[in-house]
Amino acid sequence: MSEHGSTPRYGFLIDASLCIDCRTCMVSCSVENKVPMDNTRIWIEETGVTGTFPNLERYTVPYHCMHCKDPSCVSACTVAALTRNEEGVVVYDPDVCIGCRYCMYACPFEVPNYEYDERFPEVIKCDMCYDRLQEGQQPACAQTCPTGAIKFGNYEDMLALAHKMIKDNPGKYIDHVYGEHENGGTATLYISPVPFEELGFPPAASISPAVSNRLVTEGTPTVAGAAAVGLTGIYLTIKHAKEEAEEERQAEAAEKAEAAMEEK
Amino acid sequence: MLHKIKYELERMPKFVYVLALLTAFGLGVGVYRLYAGLAVTTNLSKAYPWGLWISFDLAMVSLSAGAYTLAALVYVFQFEDLHAASRPTVLAGFLGYSSVLVILFFDLGRWDHFYSVFIHPNFSSALLEVSWCIAAYSLILIYEFSPVLVENNKLKWLLPTIKKYTVPIVIAGVTLSTMHQSSLGTLYVIMSPRLHALWHTMLLPVFFLISSYASGISLVIVGSTVSYWLLGRSIKEKTIAKLAWFVPWILAFYFVLKFGELMITGELDLLFTSGLYSLLFWAEFVIGGIIPIALLSMKKIRHDRVGVMIGAFFALAGVVLNRFDVTWFAIKPVLGQTYTPHWMEVALVVGVASGVLLVYSLVAHFFPVYEETSAVGTPKTEAAKFMESPVLEH
Repeated sequence: MSEHGSTPRYGFLIDASLCIDCRTCMVSCSVENKVPMDNTRIWIEETGVTGTFPNLERYTVPYHCMHCKDPSCVSACTVAALTRNEEGVVVYDPDVCIGCRYCMYACPFEVPNYEYDERFPEVIKCDMCYDRLQEGQQPACAQTCPTGAIKFGNYEDMLALAHKMIKDNPGKYIDHVYGEHENGGTATLYISPVPFEELGFPPAASISPAVSNRLVTEGTPTVAGAAAVGLTGIYLTIKHAKEEAEEERQAEAAEKAEAAMEEK
Repeated sequence: MLHKIKYELERMPKFVYVLALLTAFGLGVGVYRLYAGLAVTTNLSKAYPWGLWISFDLAMVSLSAGAYTLAALVYVFQFEDLHAASRPTVLAGFLGYSSVLVILFFDLGRWDHFYSVFIHPNFSSALLEVSWCIAAYSLILIYEFSPVLVENNKLKWLLPTIKKYTVPIVIAGVTLSTMHQSSLGTLYVIMSPRLHALWHTMLLPVFFLISSYASGISLVIVGSTVSYWLLGRSIKEKTIAKLAWFVPWILAFYFVLKFGELMITGELDLLFTSGLYSLLFWAEFVIGGIIPIALLSMKKIRHDRVGVMIGAFFALAGVVLNRFDVTWFAIKPVLGQTYTPHWMEVALVVGVASGVLLVYSLVAHFFPVYEETSAVGTPKTEAAKFMESPVLEH
């Protein structure tokens, strides 16, 4: 596992202006990961048809796991089935997963999906084709994209390339690399000619919800310890007070009895 | 032996059979869900990975808070006149938690890997904290209830040993409850993009903890009123009034904190501008705030069995609504998708809830659950006859 927020080794750069909605990436994902087309780990987001006739426009873009530097899903996962490895890839271990689906709610990018129709389902989430990376190959989607909309390489190169393309093509792209700061930074980066909200991207905050989650969960044992000590203290104090009251009452009763005896 | 079982079965009143039928049907649906998968048995989706089952779990845990609130009051704060209510409350709490664990099991996509929770933990996960605490706390509830199980049989010699360690065990139980009652709120801290801002806050664990005190005490009040009606056994009116005194203070503190939090984060305008969400929030405030606070702050009502029960019932309804809001109603839809449960999801919940009532009645029938409560009035109901056991005169 790697430190929260450390720079990932690999990165994607996805260019919405180059995507032609051919879905080759989805087919190659389906083949590589042996999953049906309904359960691919990459899919297409789109703006729908915009503009006024005859100047109509429609933008599409492939969308998959962002591989956050500080992933909410990893922080939320009950059994550490989701982890971020040394190379900054968020990987999934189906042999550990209990299927609680907390990761799906925790992810601010609405990425993880679930094989609801399987008897023994798995979480559907991109792992950068980690097996292929280890063999020195590119992820299947990047390898097969016919227009070069999906580029893959060292994270730092991808980030530099994103800024270079925005700078070298004035007016073509909006001045925003989606993923550079979103959710504390992600290994998947996007550039686009239209604002990302129009493509259906969620407006993620610049701090990962994992930070606030850790703040609370890691504080809980301390609070629990304090509660146990406090409760024990209360118990002993009240018990002592009650015992003292009882002793006093008995002493008083004895005095009274003595007084009564003397009178007789 | 067989004759004895046959005799017992014939003696059971009809409601036991109805509950058994509902339980069997619900569990049957549950087993079918394990076989057929989640797609055909639930309406869960990518946009709504959690549904009715999780809402039931969270509501049930908040109701079962009665057991730890009462244990704290009786053993730690040593309010001895409350002791009479502890057996029924601990039993209800234990069955509540068991139902949560059963539903969770059916909810898990990979129920066959459930043991991962214990051997492969991720300590930054709020859900891990919740599962560990609930599992451990269920064992503690069995311990707290065990005197009832061994009292009248060969295992009686265990009683002094059990009593000896009760206080430390209770303190551990109250600590575990404090942790998981609040951690259920923590679950939703990470969901800031999905949960509506009227409910989402870093203070969610604190809000869940405070409201669990209110629901815990209210459950003891409602429970002892129901047992008064059905069984003619209850704790003293004076004791109930004493308990009820706490509720308005807790609720008032809760809502002052809630409105204060909204004010500090500058979200007060959402109370009027969020349409249905605003309405839900106000419903929570009226049902779980204004009504129970107004009712239970009147001395006359606190001393009236029906009045106090109505007040406590509203407090419970408010907390349950809050849990349903956080887990379901206030989760913002994505891609225009919404969620309504599949009938099989409802059937499992109904079945498991019936199972809780069934096991409760059976345990109360065979074991001295109500022994320590005072007899008040003469019961004529079927349930009363069924749960007959010797009464101690106070």
